[in-house]
Amino acid sequence: MTDQAINTGAGRPAVSPQAVVDAARPTGVRQIDYRPDAFNPAPSRRFYFLMMTPSIVLLAGISIYPFIWLIYMSLHTVGEAGQPDVWNDFKNFTRFATDGKFQNGWLLLIKYSAMCMVLEVGLGVLLAVILNRSKLEKFLVTIILMPMMMAPIIAGLVWLFLYNGAFGWYHWLLQSIGILGPTSVLGDSDIAMFGLVAVDVWQWTPLITLITLAGLKRVPQDQLEANMVDGAGPLRNFISVALPNIYPFLLIAVLLRFMDNFRFIDAILILTGGGPADATNMLPVYLFDVSFQYFKLGRGAAVALTLLLVTIVLGMVLVKLFEDPRRKIKVHGREEG
Amino acid sequence: MFYKPKNALYKTISRRKFLELGGSAAVALGAGSIAVGLNSVITRRPVYAASSDDAKWKQYSGSKLVFMSENTPPSFAIKEKLKVFYDLTGIEVEILTDQLPTVQQKVGIDLRSGKSDFHLNYVQDKPIGSPFADYYADYTPYLTDDTLPQDPEGYGKDVWFENFLDACGHYYSSERLVALPYDAAVACTFYRQDLFEKYSKDFEKDHGYRMEFTADTTWKNLTEFTAFFKKLKESGTDVPYGYAQHHGSFAWTTQLDIQRMMFANGRWQDFSVDDKIGSKTPGPTNWGDKQSVLIMQKYKEHADVCHPDNLANGTIELNSVYQAGKVASQVQYHEFAASIEDEKTSAAAGGKTAYAPCPKGEASWIVNGGQAVNGTNCGIGGIGINGNASDDLKRAAYIFAIWSVSKDNQLEVLKGLGGTPTRKSVLAVPEVAAARKRPTTMPNALTFDAVYDLGIKDPHFVLGPKIPNTNEYHQIMATEAQKLVAGKQSAEECCNSIKAQLDDMHDV
Amino acid sequence: MASREIAQYPTATRRVLGVATILFVAFYLIWTLLPLLIMFLSSFKDLLDAFQLPATGDWGGAALLFTFEPTTKHYQNLFLDLNFGTYLGNSLIASLGSALVSVVLGSTAAYALSRLDFRGKNDLFFWIISTRMAPVVAVLVPLYAIFRSLDLIGTLPGLILAYTTFNLPFAIWILKGFFDNVPYAIEEAAMCDGSTRLQALRMIMPLVAPGIGAFIVLCVLFGWNDYLFSSIIGSGGAKTLPAATIALVQPQNIQWGSIMAAGAVTTVPMLFLGVLIRRYLVAGLTMGAVRE
Repeated sequence: MTDQAINTGAGRPAVSPQAVVDAARPTGVRQIDYRPDAFNPAPSRRFYFLMMTPSIVLLAGISIYPFIWLIYMSLHTVGEAGQPDVWNDFKNFTRFATDGKFQNGWLLLIKYSAMCMVLEVGLGVLLAVILNRSKLEKFLVTIILMPMMMAPIIAGLVWLFLYNGAFGWYHWLLQSIGILGPTSVLGDSDIAMFGLVAVDVWQWTPLITLITLAGLKRVPQDQLEANMVDGAGPLRNFISVALPNIYPFLLIAVLLRFMDNFRFIDAILILTGGGPADATNMLPVYLFDVSFQYFKLGRGAAVALTLLLVTIVLGMVLVKLFEDPRRKIKVHGREEG
Repeated sequence: MFYKPKNALYKTISRRKFLELGGSAAVALGAGSIAVGLNSVITRRPVYAASSDDAKWKQYSGSKLVFMSENTPPSFAIKEKLKVFYDLTGIEVEILTDQLPTVQQKVGIDLRSGKSDFHLNYVQDKPIGSPFADYYADYTPYLTDDTLPQDPEGYGKDVWFENFLDACGHYYSSERLVALPYDAAVACTFYRQDLFEKYSKDFEKDHGYRMEFTADTTWKNLTEFTAFFKKLKESGTDVPYGYAQHHGSFAWTTQLDIQRMMFANGRWQDFSVDDKIGSKTPGPTNWGDKQSVLIMQKYKEHADVCHPDNLANGTIELNSVYQAGKVASQVQYHEFAASIEDEKTSAAAGGKTAYAPCPKGEASWIVNGGQAVNGTNCGIGGIGINGNASDDLKRAAYIFAIWSVSKDNQLEVLKGLGGTPTRKSVLAVPEVAAARKRPTTMPNALTFDAVYDLGIKDPHFVLGPKIPNTNEYHQIMATEAQKLVAGKQSAEECCNSIKAQLDDMHDV
Repeated sequence: MASREIAQYPTATRRVLGVATILFVAFYLIWTLLPLLIMFLSSFKDLLDAFQLPATGDWGGAALLFTFEPTTKHYQNLFLDLNFGTYLGNSLIASLGSALVSVVLGSTAAYALSRLDFRGKNDLFFWIISTRMAPVVAVLVPLYAIFRSLDLIGTLPGLILAYTTFNLPFAIWILKGFFDNVPYAIEEAAMCDGSTRLQALRMIMPLVAPGIGAFIVLCVLFGWNDYLFSSIIGSGGAKTLPAATIALVQPQNIQWGSIMAAGAVTTVPMLFLGVLIRRYLVAGLTMGAVRE
């Protein structure tokens, strides 16, 4: 492959020699028009680079400067009016060791995300299995995806209304079933977190369902049937045939949700703002407080960098998953050799 | 056209539909794109000391200013009156209103960036004033500038209610004045007189004194009232809970609740500094001393008999609980009286509610030798001028500032949407004096006896630490107190934890 | 499908399972719809009605949810007194504008990335998508500074650009997937016939158009539902629906009726869009990793 290699459109996302060979095999899904470079009308690299430039410049503008700013700020104590920023020997970072709210923030964020994931994946997959090939599939899916369309901040407000101890219907409902005392969901430091998890589960379980449904559609029917003839029950059938097919997708979904939990705190800010008693003070909420309520920009930048670092690592894992060869083959509907 | 695999990543069926969609989107956008910026305009006509008042008011005619404010009644009322201001001065003012946290955020970014998108700010004394005081313009030179219009009453300490000017205007120095008092929220007790009277006899049988709120009602009495209601409720009587505070969701008011109780008992303060001016280096905190631990124990005992949903309630949430008739008394800021007296939304309206000063300290709880007072605190919202603005912009902003805090405006806000005056002269208006008794047309005036005649005066008045780290301080206080109320730590642990965090914050 | 059903003999377990399934789905539908339903109902209720709750355990009292005198006063309040018409317009212009800018810039970049190989391409690609992953809170202050220096704070073009910061990486990522699926042979053939490169690109555009259409809708959705950018970069001058709704939470008066009405106004258009692009939603929300 020379520098001037052109994507033949066979593989996704980029072309490796192996992919070309794979694709050229008769098992391939589409016809491959692969020709030696010499036959191609010479593509001008400059043309392509020019096409990329506006986007790259824009993205660089909004990402490189903020990133440098973050690093600079994180190394300084940011002065008050008229005061210069002072280099502080990494104090913004070393203080993490004694910053209970920072450590607690990470723990809570992981706990929160984990709870959301377990419930969303459990419910979402179950729902998808039930809906798959149901006569009402289209109709039901259309209904259950509604919460996803709602602005998180609006969802937060609606749930705040539902949880309210004086006039909230969910408060009444939970009390009537007998699982809630006079204290409302968001007023109890032991259960406020579950209140937030419920909102996330309400809003984002449909995503898992949709993804699982997409995965299930790809499970080869003949394999399922062969398995059934062998006497496998629906559960074993699901575990041994369907699950391997949908798990890479689920993994991606879980990672994406994790990263979204890092980015979106609209609903949490409205519902609890981190309280009561720090029970829901997850790292992004703490970061918001440090940066925009205390205006400790240096400290905030250091906290933000840890968040950014973890996000980037997760992002790299995610991209690796995108490129997972096994999954790619499935995407193209081919059987494994 | 070309070979299309069975499992292709898209289907052609809906292609047309989506093309149409994209097309109509483009048309919709092309239909119009407007830009509404926050551009300020400044035009000036020179005036002289000898010029007419009218010329002084009109010297910046044609200018445009932006005022960033909290979404409270005075701001809405001022918004309604912008036409009057425009007719008077020819200056166009845009008022943006948001929730306090959003205001803090926007104003903070604007001030820190050295810009002046917002020429005028709502300077809520501690959340905005304390951290950003240095970014605001000093009023002092303008107050005596005879090329500017001036308020006939002047701006001395005497024209405002006691302590108001210090509370919102002076930070870390009494030389610089960075805000004029614009509205006020002073704590007082709202209670259901009907319920208190109904059960007073039963209470007296057990405790030997009447269940009523006076200026001499102590925190100990209050705890007993509250416990009485709780016992009554648990025995099956249809009564609400006795009392509630703002233990949750809004750190600042949680901190103010604790502070009232601490100050009432021996005038205890967080830091040994001049409370009214504040300090950038307050030194070690007094938290963790014997007095503080004792009061926090009492605070916890009291919280245990209060409304059980306290940790979910900030000011407004608690107020709606009270409006719904689910609590017999509450601490609340006097600006809320209007909403309590609103028959349309409140079960506590129609003469059921009475207003009393904050509870007094209990002599037997005071171990530091201090005085027992009716510890009362407040939030005084000032109007401040962005120090980053150009000199002409500042002068134009000054014209708006003094207009907005004028007596006539305050009176109209009080009559209309239910404001809270900051000028003494407003109370002297016969109409207002009459409104302090039922039946009233200005419900907020019902609180004036408790608030302006007692609470805000020394020695009852406590401002709370004015320190640049005030917002972090509020959060620390609220979190630790919530942990105490939730039973996650003891009073002593609570005080020590507060001390450790505050001292760490101030590097002492 | 026939062969599958042969294996399924109706047994007692299976019947129980069937009932359980139906119950589960029914429960799930209620769980999904109830918050939306309460939002819609409350938006038509007088506040005193909206605050009515039956006594704890009084299940019959649940009928209270539906017994009320419908009123449109909250909607009137929004549109007649509170300028929600303008905010609706702002939301529309900002989200559509950003979607179009993203699609124009994004499709050219994605096309180039799809057709060209060069060293570091994968790194560049990762960097592009990582700009979308960054927690907004972390970079809001420097972003504000950039927008401020361009005089874009509080303007619709500013908001369009702000939304583009998260829509563009997404656009490049997704659209590259679309272009990857168009064989280069088509352009090649066209160019052999004498077309210029741009003409060849125009030729393949219809092939990716359906994807682009759905994708525009997704960008609109992201922009429409944003709050943080709208609140800080929009900053009052270009207030959108979510930011305007939050402003109804007033310290002395949470205007629940109007909030519910504003919630409905914000949500309903997106519900329709959701139905419209249902099949592209998976691809969109997983950044193209999963397709239906």
